[in-house]
Parts: sequence; structure tokens; C-alpha cells
Amino acid sequence: MITVEQKELEKILEMTKGRGRLLVLGCETCAAMSLAGGKKQAEELAVAIRVGRKQSKEEGEVVADAIARQCEPEFVALIEKEVASFDTVLSLACGAGVQLIAERFPDKVVIPGCNTSFLGVTEKLGVWSERCAGCGNCILDKTGGLCPIARCAKQLFNGPCGGSTNGKCEISKDVDCVWQLIIDRLTRLDRLEALEEIFPVKDWSPAGHGGPRRVVREDLEP
Amino acid sequence: MNAERTSHPEEPAYPPCKSACPILTDAREYIQLIAERKYDEAYAAIRRQNPLPGVCGRICTHPCEAVCKRGQVGEPIAIAALKRFSCDGPRRQPYQAILPEAPTGHAVAVIGSGPAGLSAAHDLALLGHHVTIFETLPVLGGMLRVGVPEYRLPKDVVEQEIQTILDLGIEVKTGVRIGEEITLADLFEKGYGAVFLAVGAHKDRKLGIPGEEALEGVVAAVSFLRGISEGKAPEVGRRVAVIGGGNTAVDSARSALRLGSEAVTMVYRRSKEEMPAAREEIEEAIEEGIEIAYLTSPVEILGTHGRVSGLKCIETALGDADAGGRRSPKPVPGSEFVLDVNMVIAAIGQAPESSCFGDDLEVSAQGNRIVAKDPETLATSIPGVFAGGDAVTGPATAIKAIAAGQRAARAIDLYLKRTSEDASESAGDVRPQEISGPVMEKTRRFARSRPPRVPVRDRLRDFGEVVSVLSEDLATQEALRCLHCHLGARVDQEACVSCLTCVRICPLQIPKANKMGEITIDPVDCQACGMCAMECPVRAIDIRLHSGVEILAQLEEAIGQSRFAGPLIVGFFDLHGTFGVEDLENLRENYPGIVPVTVFGLRRIDTTHMLRAFEFGAAGVFLAACPDDRDPFPETRDRIKRRVAHTAVLTELLGLGKGRVEILEMPDKGLIDEKAIDELIQKIKEIGPSPLRV
Repeated sequence: MITVEQKELEKILEMTKGRGRLLVLGCETCAAMSLAGGKKQAEELAVAIRVGRKQSKEEGEVVADAIARQCEPEFVALIEKEVASFDTVLSLACGAGVQLIAERFPDKVVIPGCNTSFLGVTEKLGVWSERCAGCGNCILDKTGGLCPIARCAKQLFNGPCGGSTNGKCEISKDVDCVWQLIIDRLTRLDRLEALEEIFPVKDWSPAGHGGPRRVVREDLEP
Repeated sequence: MNAERTSHPEEPAYPPCKSACPILTDAREYIQLIAERKYDEAYAAIRRQNPLPGVCGRICTHPCEAVCKRGQVGEPIAIAALKRFSCDGPRRQPYQAILPEAPTGHAVAVIGSGPAGLSAAHDLALLGHHVTIFETLPVLGGMLRVGVPEYRLPKDVVEQEIQTILDLGIEVKTGVRIGEEITLADLFEKGYGAVFLAVGAHKDRKLGIPGEEALEGVVAAVSFLRGISEGKAPEVGRRVAVIGGGNTAVDSARSALRLGSEAVTMVYRRSKEEMPAAREEIEEAIEEGIEIAYLTSPVEILGTHGRVSGLKCIETALGDADAGGRRSPKPVPGSEFVLDVNMVIAAIGQAPESSCFGDDLEVSAQGNRIVAKDPETLATSIPGVFAGGDAVTGPATAIKAIAAGQRAARAIDLYLKRTSEDASESAGDVRPQEISGPVMEKTRRFARSRPPRVPVRDRLRDFGEVVSVLSEDLATQEALRCLHCHLGARVDQEACVSCLTCVRICPLQIPKANKMGEITIDPVDCQACGMCAMECPVRAIDIRLHSGVEILAQLEEAIGQSRFAGPLIVGFFDLHGTFGVEDLENLRENYPGIVPVTVFGLRRIDTTHMLRAFEFGAAGVFLAACPDDRDPFPETRDRIKRRVAHTAVLTELLGLGKGRVEILEMPDKGLIDEKAIDELIQKIKEIGPSPLRV
């Protein structure tokens, strides 16, 4: 999932100050699963902003709502009439959702209520960690299912650096050295010799370094 | 959310307590009201459905308790005792009776004023029919008045409840025996459109053993108990044998003790397990020193000078089951012995007086019981004549008689109106609803409240009531042990995003996800704690007990009703604390600035609720936590503390100042710690009034 985190309330209040009629729009997929931008969180934020506005005697109704996904044009289209009646939309979706909303409603002020973090997994309730950098050319078959692009601080391709100590990355003892994990996993699978194959210099264009990416499925598009 | 679509497909229609009750009483309703300290409403909820709540609260056999789900994780809820508490507890308002509909012009004759007759008369009167009760005895109540001894059911309780029923405008004619001075045909001629025979079973069965007729000192239970009820103190022997194992036998035995017998022995031909009398009755009898000779059958009553001098008995062994399903007692040859007694009371069953109604009334060979040809309508072989209660079933229970009276009233109403539409509820099936093993283990146990009972040494002096009503604290604690069957969480599958938050947060680990992400919450396991409904990020879970929406409405109403000009402080109080309705009243009087909102657990209060309180103009908010040992989900306390801390941070960031949100501990007994509240009020005063108050 894409993990998002709600911005600090102070920041949100600052961004929405003086912005008139405000729609706090939740997203019921990744943002909700991150427990940061679902309907519940949208409602809570709406009440908080209302209390803040009352306190500072600011005018402007604040309403909460949510749609299934803000990254799908059909869902966004369904709230067209609703959004028309607002001045500003505070979107709690990931960056993709915020942008589609802004694209669809170019005459409205659209503000992000969350910071989009990473592609990751849930460790337990309330804890998520990064797993995938979206590099566009998955090599997990060669590294025993562990990604050195997402999880290595230096994004090294051919083994650990000299800073790897007791299985931990030199940036922090709370971060595992993914190359240690790769070596351990491949050993366990009796495939350590896979590391003898040297990775060539990576073409980073599929990772977005050559410009924004787009996927086209010719077999699917109408 | 569409309720039908979201119901768990396996959820039974009724909770176990309701399914087991002959009149389909939903015990959850009044139990919840007691927990909410709403005693007037609790009484009204019962009385709407049951015209004899004080009687049932004392002598009902409570089949509901046998199936109560709490019984799987501790002892079942003391439902009958709570019913009695609803009647005798601290009520503030007199009950507002339902008014009868407009008169229909029909008249119904109810023969017999026991529980069947009374409930039929009550319901028929409410439907607008003119009702006349005909009763042979000079007093009303049937077995309630002349059978059950006063130490179980005082006269004045019976008389009061009967009077409330009669106040509906029911006519009464006592000292009249239908079938003798007036026949059934006469009644129809007089203009009655229908007759309900509810004459009960008052004719003692004979023992059929030598010595029964000839000797002095042999009495039949019904006439013995009736004599006591009339105020006569029948002579009792120094040593008494009571033959039988039902409630009538126990009643006779315990009454004999109170009248002065030194030793009473019950003689019952089957074993302890088969004994039909209520468990509590048997327990109390044994406490009072009554001996019970199980697997013993009477053979002959021995006499000297025309008086009872002993009871010859034989031991029995249980053979195969008979037609009724009970194992047959077979005498063990050569095991005769003699009980040294000088009085024998026969309590082996009763039959109705049914021969007086004429040959057209079909009567069964089994004990002359009146035959109800249609068990749904209770219609007899004579058109327009219905019958129910002990007269049809043989001796049974008061609640079954009440159920029969209600059924007859519905049937008679339809009969008189010449329709067959019946909108009444149908009985549910009593499917076993078993809690799963892991949930059973995790469920916290609390001791069942026991009503106070007079110590044995003081009981036998007179016929004073042995059991008294539960205290308010014990009653509310007992009501809070309810597991709230079928009031738990339901997931709207269409809204659910399979985030697994509910799976992770449930203290009993009940929600289960399949590999496609569909969440199921077993309605039998769920105890309606509210955590999942609260934490679901897409609000896909609906909780039927005290939902977030209800709490918001409560909050808005409570704040709206306050007339206090100074700073308002909203206090969310956990109902699991040990406090009474008077404590709430005192709080309102002594602290008019505090707006109390009582909730089934602080785990139902979300950040949004607390913020809304500020939005509605509160200057401060506190959560009052119940003592640890009263909390059914103590593992949630940490999360609640964190929610409060989070809300405190938010309110500060919103410019309301620091310190407006707190969590307080309720004392072991009572609603608040006055010192803590005074401190909080002072602190809020110092921070200043709410900037949001209009």
C-alpha cells in the first residue's frame, strides 16, 4: 500500500486559514488503511477545524466526506456537484489523489492534508515500513525477495558497503542492512552463488529519473 | 446502512433470553435500562408486556436464565431478580399505564382469576372489550393468592398488581362457580361473545394408598395451603411427611415448618436430578432443615387410634423412561421401612375441576384436563369457548399461564372481530448460541449478585418474605454483566476496505478476515464493546449497543438542556462505576456546571466526541473511568488514555488553551471524587470560559 501520514494540525490550520467553505475529503483506500485519511479521520479533522475557526471567529462552513479512491476519474466525477459548492478542498489522499482532484477542479483551491511516504507493508497495527521504490525494473528474483533499492541507504547493487555492522545499516541501528538480509536469505535458499552475477549499471529511466512515467496497455485501452 | 443487508447471515432472530420466555420478554431491554440507571423506563418496558411483573420477579422459574449466554462465561444474569428490582427499586415516577382502545361492544367472560385469567382479562380490556372475571373463591389471584405461600409471594404484592389490572375497568364477580349456578350456555345468553376457561388445577390427586381416607392427620396440599392463605393456622404434626417433589410439595413442607412442625421430610420417588421443584426452592428448603428422601415411594399410612402414626415407604430404583420421557421408579423388593411421622401431606399433583362444564366440553383422560383443540388459538370443542393455563396443561408455571392468557386474548379478539389476521410475534427457535472457546477464555468474569435473604433462624418464625430485593449497587452491577446478545458489531461489506483494523483492535479477537478481505464478526461471540466501530477508518461498522451517533445525540441534548450561565464542563461517566441514580441527581444539583453523559464504557468516546463537546460550547471535557475491577475490557484503558492525550494536544493547537481535557478516576463507590472535580472546575475557570460559547 501507499502509506500516508496526516500533516501536523498547525500546518493544516495555516493552509486552510481564510479559505472559505471547506470540504475535507477523505480517501477510502490507502489513506484510510494508513489510518490517516479515511472518513473517520476526515470527520475528526473537520470538527477540529470548525472548533479552530469558531475560536478565531473565522467564517466558512467545514464539511467532511470521502470517496473510494481519489486517483480514479469516475469516483472524482461523482462528487463534481458537491465540490462546486465549496471554495477549497482539503484532500487527505496520497499525492496522486490530490493531483487528480486539482486537475478535475482547476478553479478550486486544493490543499494536501497528508504527506505521502512510501510503498510499504504493515508490520502491526500503526506501524508500516518501506519496501518498494517503484524503480520500474524489479530484481527481487536475484536478491531473494529483498529490495536493495528501497531498503539500502546507498541503493547499492552488489553487496554491502563497509558500514554494515552486525547486520545493521550505518545510518541507524534500527535499520537492518538489507544486504545482510539478502545474503542470509540466499544462503538459506542455498543460492548464494547468485550474487556472483554482477549487476550492470542501472538504467534509471524506468525509475522516473528520466521524467514522469506512464504505463500504456495497448491490449486494454479503448 | 441497510440493516437487512448487513445482518450476519447466521444471526438468530431473537437473543436466547427472549426465545426461552413463554411471553417472549426481551430481557436485554430492561437490563440495559437498569444499567443506565433508568428504573422508571425499565419498569415500563416490563409492564408493557407483562401484567404481573412483581409476581414474576419473585416466583418465575426464569427459563431465560437457563439459556442466558453469560452462563457460558460465569453464572447467568439474575434476570428474575432484576425484574423484581425494576418493580421494587428506586423509581421516581408512577407508571403511566397504557389506555384501552375504544369499546368494541363485545363482552368476554373470564372464568378464573389466576395468572391466565388475569392476563387474558388485562389484554382483552386493553383491546376495548368489556371483561367480567368470574371467580369461585372470595379472593382473586388463583394459586398466586391461595397456593404460593407468603414467604415467597406476599399477599399485598398480588393484590396490588391485580388492582392495577382491574383499574382498566374489568368487572369482577367473586363467590360464583360457573358450571353450577350459571352454565356456559347461560353466559352466551347473557350476551357474552366468548368465554375463557382459566380455572387452574386445584383438585388434589389422591395417593391411592391404604390409610389415606380413614386416618386423621392426612391432608391434601392444595387445601392445606389454601387454609394457610385464608389466615387459618392449620394444625400440623410434630413430625411431618410431605409426599411429592414439585413446588407444591416444597411449599407445603416449608409452610409446615413455619406452623410449628419440628421435623419435615419430603418423600420423592425419583432422584434429585429429576425433582421438578425450582432449584432455589429446594436449596432454601434444605437450608431450613427439611430432609428429602429421594427414590422413596409411600406404600401405606399407618395409624393408631385413628390418627397417623407412621408412613410405610419403599425404596425405588429408576428404570426405563416412560411415555413422558421420565425414568420410571420401580420399587426395590424387601426395602420397606417406616418413617416416624404423625402427619402426611399429599402433594403429588393437581387436576382441574372440569366436569362442571357439561359434556360438550372435551376433556382429556389425563387428569380431566380441558382440551384446547387448537394450540394456537386455545379454542376448545365448544365454539366461542377458549381455555388455557393449568386447566389445560396440568400444573405448570405462572409465566406459562400468563402466556396462555395473552394468546387466548389475541385469539378471542380475532374471533369476536371475525378476522384471522394475527400480527403477533411468533416464537423463535431456541438454537444453542455457543461462545467460541478462545473468546470464552478472554471474557472477564464478574460475580453474580445475590439478593439478601433472611437468615434461616429468623425465617421460620412467620411467613415473612425470605428473599428481598437487590440493592441498587448490586442490581446495576448485575445488569452490567449482560453480554448484550445481538447488539454487537456488523460490517457493511460494501463500505469495508479490508484494512484489518477491526481484526487487530478487538480485545476478544473476534473479527476474522478471509483471504479476499471479507470480514466476518460472529454475532454470538461479539459483546458489543464498540472498539472496532470506533476505530474503523471508513465507518463501515455499525454497533447496535450505544453507537457513536447515539452518544452524539445524548451529548447535544445534555448540553442543550443546561441552563448554567458559567463554564460548562462535559463529563463522560462510565456506567460500570458503582453509583446510583441519587448520585447523578446530587451531581446535577451540586455541580450545575457539569454536564454528565453516561456511557457503556469510555471506549465508546472518540476524539470526535470530545471535540464536538467543545464545538457545542463546553469549556472543558473529562472522562471518568470506572474502577479497574469493574471494567469488562481493562486492556482498552491504555488506548483511552492515549485518545484523551491526543485530544488535549489538539485542543491546545486549536487555540483553546492547555488543560481543558482530562481523564479522572471514579472512586470505588460513588460518581466523583469531589476534590478532583473541584480542582478541575477551578483549573477550567483559570483557563477561562469557552471562546466558542455563544
